Amino acid sequence: MLNQDAVHAIILQALNNINDERGPDEQLVINLDTRLFGADAVLDSLSLVSVIVDVEAAISDASGRDISLTDDRAMSQAVSPFTDVNALTAYILLLLSEAA
Amino acid sequence: MTLPAGGAASAYAGKLALITGARRGVGRIIAEHILQHGGRVAGFARGESTIDHPDYFHFQVDIGDPASVQQGFAALRKVTDAVHIVVNNAAVLTSQYAMIMPPAAAQAMLNTNLMGAFMVSREASKMMRKSKWGRIINIGSMAVSLEPIGDSMYAATKAGLASLANVMAKELAPLNVTCNTLGITAIHTDMLSQLPQDKIAQVIAGLTIPRFAEADDILNVIDFLASERSAYITAQTIYLGGVN
Repeated sequence: MLNQDAVHAIILQALNNINDERGPDEQLVINLDTRLFGADAVLDSLSLVSVIVDVEAAISDASGRDISLTDDRAMSQAVSPFTDVNALTAYILLLLSEAA
Repeated sequence: MTLPAGGAASAYAGKLALITGARRGVGRIIAEHILQHGGRVAGFARGESTIDHPDYFHFQVDIGDPASVQQGFAALRKVTDAVHIVVNNAAVLTSQYAMIMPPAAAQAMLNTNLMGAFMVSREASKMMRKSKWGRIINIGSMAVSLEPIGDSMYAATKAGLASLANVMAKELAPLNVTCNTLGITAIHTDMLSQLPQDKIAQVIAGLTIPRFAEADDILNVIDFLASERSAYITAQTIYLGGVN
């Protein structure tokens, strides 16, 4: 099963993919506390969708398991999985532990 | 088949088109046209392939089943990492008064004609996202405008296709992906042969241009919507035969 570092790397790569499409003056500051969704989020809606698609695909490739980050359960979490990179990592690890 | 007026033999060179319902009828006509003009084609259909061409890749997919569509895309991604053009053509038709329409037949139309197109567009747009280029073309129907008796669910699903394209056009515009609908009129296909001939004749007689559609009538609009020059054409429905 993927560990925390591996999931971190997948999410950070997805964020780097967004930066690859941005100009030098528009680069996101990417770290484990980068806020993905909400008032202080650094991503617009389409960029967030792109991150989700990339992360779901990369998790599937790396683990052989399909996960959904946008189903009803994800949206009803007490702490949104999209608060920041750490929160998303924790939610993905939860899903993978259940699917194992 | 002869080249359409203005058509170049390499008009689709370097492009991969995913066509649903590619085994027969309109889907097969479009698939063979794109192959003839230098493109590669991936076909999704429930049955086995009816097209023998080195650049044709067939996948047995039940468009009405979301899991089957996702499995089809998993198989497709082993062949290519890029889909440039999608033609959502697969459809089923049961024409019957609503009061006696079997619910299963109505559900099947909803699943294949609308949900299937949604799932294919959903998965294909993920692939188009990476290349920042795409054309999604939904095959609609004159039934949306003419609203013939017996076509309540069929016309509703085809109307939904246009709405689907128009909303996705907004979502995908930043990715240079256009989404349009081609509302076709009656053309001689297996699907049409299921319907009462007197009903078809009545519909044809009521068209502004009262004749059946021909293959090139459809291919002309497909070429237009798929072309590089149509990058500024999106969220549009184009009807054939004077239907509006």
